[in-house]
Amino acid sequence: MKLKSSLYFLLPLLLLLTACDLEKAIDVELPPHEAQLVVECYLEPGKPMRATVLESVSYFDEPQPPLVPDAEVFITYNGKTTRLNYAPFIDKEINKFYTHRSDELVEGKPGEMYSLEVKDGKGRRVTGFTTMLPRVPIDTLEYRFNEKEEALLLTSYQDDPNSRNFYRYMTHIDSLHEGSDREFTVSDELTNGTRVTLGSAYDYDKGDSLTVTLYHIEEQYYNFLRSTSDAKNANGNPFAQPSKIASTVQGGIGVFTNLAYDRQTVIIK
Amino acid sequence: MRLPAYLLPLLLLLFCLYSKVMAQSNYTISGYVRSATGNEPLVGATVGVPSMNVGTITNENGFYSISLPPGSYTLQASYVGYQTSSWPVVVSNVNQTVAITMTAAANQLKEVVVETNTLEQKLNQNQMSVEKLTTREVKLLPALFGEVDLLKTLQLKPGVQSGGEGTSGLYVRGGGPDQNLVLLDDAIVYNASHLFGFFSVFNSDAVESVELYKGGFPAEFGGRLSSVVDVKMREGNQERISATGGIGLIASRLTIDGPIVKDKASFIVSGRRTYSDIFTRQINRLKEGDEDYNPIPDYYFYDLNGKVNYKLGEDDELSLSGYFGRDFFGFKDDDFKFGFDWGNKVAALSWRHKFSPRLYANTTASSSSYQYTIKNEINVFSFRLTSDIKDFGLKTDFDLILDGGHSLKFGAMASKHDFTIGRLNFDSEDNSISLGAGSNYKATEFGTYVSDDYLINARWSLNYGLRFSGFNSGGKTYVGLEPRASAKYNISESVALKGSFASMMQYIHLVANSGASLPTDVWYPSNPGVYPQRSQQVALGISKLFGAGRFLLTNEVYYKWMRRQIDFRDGANLFVNDNLEQEFLFGKGESYGNELYFEKINGKTTGWVGYTLSWTYRTFPDINEGRRFPTRYDRRHDISVVLLHKLNKRLSLTGAFVYGTGNAYSLPVARFAFQDVEGENPSVVPIYSDRNSFRLAPFHRLDLGVVLKMRPKHGESDLTFSVYNAYNRRNPYFVYFEQLKDEQDQETLNFQAKQVSLFPVIPSVTYNFKF
Repeated sequence: MKLKSSLYFLLPLLLLLTACDLEKAIDVELPPHEAQLVVECYLEPGKPMRATVLESVSYFDEPQPPLVPDAEVFITYNGKTTRLNYAPFIDKEINKFYTHRSDELVEGKPGEMYSLEVKDGKGRRVTGFTTMLPRVPIDTLEYRFNEKEEALLLTSYQDDPNSRNFYRYMTHIDSLHEGSDREFTVSDELTNGTRVTLGSAYDYDKGDSLTVTLYHIEEQYYNFLRSTSDAKNANGNPFAQPSKIASTVQGGIGVFTNLAYDRQTVIIK
Repeated sequence: MRLPAYLLPLLLLLFCLYSKVMAQSNYTISGYVRSATGNEPLVGATVGVPSMNVGTITNENGFYSISLPPGSYTLQASYVGYQTSSWPVVVSNVNQTVAITMTAAANQLKEVVVETNTLEQKLNQNQMSVEKLTTREVKLLPALFGEVDLLKTLQLKPGVQSGGEGTSGLYVRGGGPDQNLVLLDDAIVYNASHLFGFFSVFNSDAVESVELYKGGFPAEFGGRLSSVVDVKMREGNQERISATGGIGLIASRLTIDGPIVKDKASFIVSGRRTYSDIFTRQINRLKEGDEDYNPIPDYYFYDLNGKVNYKLGEDDELSLSGYFGRDFFGFKDDDFKFGFDWGNKVAALSWRHKFSPRLYANTTASSSSYQYTIKNEINVFSFRLTSDIKDFGLKTDFDLILDGGHSLKFGAMASKHDFTIGRLNFDSEDNSISLGAGSNYKATEFGTYVSDDYLINARWSLNYGLRFSGFNSGGKTYVGLEPRASAKYNISESVALKGSFASMMQYIHLVANSGASLPTDVWYPSNPGVYPQRSQQVALGISKLFGAGRFLLTNEVYYKWMRRQIDFRDGANLFVNDNLEQEFLFGKGESYGNELYFEKINGKTTGWVGYTLSWTYRTFPDINEGRRFPTRYDRRHDISVVLLHKLNKRLSLTGAFVYGTGNAYSLPVARFAFQDVEGENPSVVPIYSDRNSFRLAPFHRLDLGVVLKMRPKHGESDLTFSVYNAYNRRNPYFVYFEQLKDEQDQETLNFQAKQVSLFPVIPSVTYNFKF
């Protein structure tokens, strides 16, 4: 459980800041940055293999990250290597941009391993591994009303006592493709082997269609998500220490993992 | 435990010295120095016999003792803000008591320029690297929101830095704010700040003085690496009941003191409270129906101080001091209730006993605790997080004056610590959700010491001592020997050379992941996996008196090594974590620098100029890839100028100017785009490189003040006008990189660095009264 403690401390400061114009644009000279490959690749059983390979850029460079057309992406499973071809496209359904794809479907069973290799013409090489995880089912999804007819949502699942588990929980209202309403990552450090219930506030109204997704995630992915969130929070929080990105890949930045999730939808009535 | 083996030589030494006392031939003049108005003890007053070139400074209870051969002498006493006074004394073949009362210079009807020899005493004292402030001086200086603050005024002294604008944390010679031993009447204060460090817990009306040791630590102090902040509370007026108070912009104070039994027992109680919450609640109430209005959270803090003194007889005195303070931050609406409160509770019972005019003991039993609690209720869910530290301690200190120029101090302390770290309860009403976490640790700490202040001759003096300390927790005992030494050599009557060495141990550590003093910072004991911190410091100094003793110029150079320093892993979870130690990283630190200090303490114009040139680094194998990095508060140049000018009996002008190199700071050098599983919310993730490799713009600020004494029918009163940041400098508080987006299609246009400042020009007025 990670609390946004810094927010509480910032409140009095924010009050002061809004009262006076105490912010101004300044010039900061940054040291030269050597661009690194940035890889995002999620394997989902039954779905084709897709990856995005981009580059990191100096902070004040052009907003759009540069493409790496000469990057080659290989995914190996059970001794068989699949090459993902460079063919940038946007998946309109989820509004996501990919640079590499193959029609090969992901077939791995829980416990099996996939490996990733990305190479480019500059001699940069990124590698990574992921072990397929079992789905953890949502065993109940229920809502309750308060006297104002606002509903809260409770989601329960059973944690496996024999392994260290990490979860990513997301709630979407009405559509899966317009950003999540609630999201957090949790470990089972305090709840090992128990039936865990995650709750919300009285945030929902009658007629809302709520889709809850419970991802069972790898520790390396959990660390990556935590570190990107910490790094984003450190930019703009005077109390935070800078955070290094804990990539799941070596030789570059990014994430290579698999998606094992259960998803249920409930309509508040 | 090997304690007895270490103690034996110390006891032997004490025995030998005691035998020496018995064989004395000089006689002792001793007594208390008190103020004529309130009969309050004057701490740090100079008492001497100029013709014999002997002198001493009154101790924390206003007690002095001088050893002289039989003869007739003139005893002279001086103290800042008081008239220097003289008494003829005849030393025959008995020890005698001379009580000294001093009259405050301000009470003089005619304008006098008080000449004291305090600077001369400072030149001649063995102790170096020490700064003293009295509330009397501090109250004249301009302050943020008019709230006079002892700790913030200490930041104006060379070698002492603040963590950020407006904060009261002290960074002394490269040490962290957790490395300061903060004492209130000999009891430890664990978190000396209110409102995230913007104000210290010391109410200026309740405090008499503060002394800050930056190095050359006397052997009686231990347990922290970098400084000792020794705060003494005022004692009640022995003659009559009086009230002191003030009404300020954000807080008001009221203090009542007076005799319980005339000339025997006195009391003082003092309170302070901020009142912005009273206005914010009214605003919230007025806007109650407004849907778009976000209510302002409640915030206030208060302090209560109390002290009772009771004279049991000629040779015995009891005092009981207490402090209680709380900060409260709260917010609630229909569904949500958030409360966050934190504070210290401190109590000390002291017994002072004079065995003889040469042997004097002070025994204190104290308790101290610091606690924070966060309560959060969202309808059916409740969340509660508590951390605290509770201490009970006992210490006894002896002062023994011997022939041949020896002044001995020895004593011992023991304390019991009880730590509760991250005690969490998370529940829902129907028990469908229940979570708990937290750890509890117990520890004992002890220390024993002996030191000798040896006046060898008119030119040389030496102070040497040894402290033996230990700590037990989690089945592991650590012990440490901490040698301390300092020496002074007078090249001439106006020039002195000083040098010191101090070795320090610190057994408890602050778990704080930020540059500010946050209330959620918790203390953590040394244990089998967490070693005590250690430091060694050497300092060399030269002092010179100018202008017939009116100015003192001091230059000190120091080097400090710190081992087993603690920092935290990237992304460490310090909030709710049963295995907090896994987040610790250990490394070393170093700090070195030069401090130049020019001061004038008497006359119509007083003040000081300080300039510090310093370097502070840390090296951790697991941070910054093992490369040395500067700390945030590594400040190459630090200048402070403080001036007080008394225009006439009624009007004083004050000013303070500070300049400092910008804080070292980490900024991202690069970024990457992160789409996540669903691509609908791509984000920009910053990439940080070397830690603290950027510098914020330099910090400078001028504060001005005017103190206007009024002429009320009864008592005294004044109006203090302050202008904080007079030329409205936008000093950097932090810098961040903003993503600028097109308002219509939300496309990212570019990125821009933004600097945020905290305090613009802030005028304030405070009305102070005394009757």
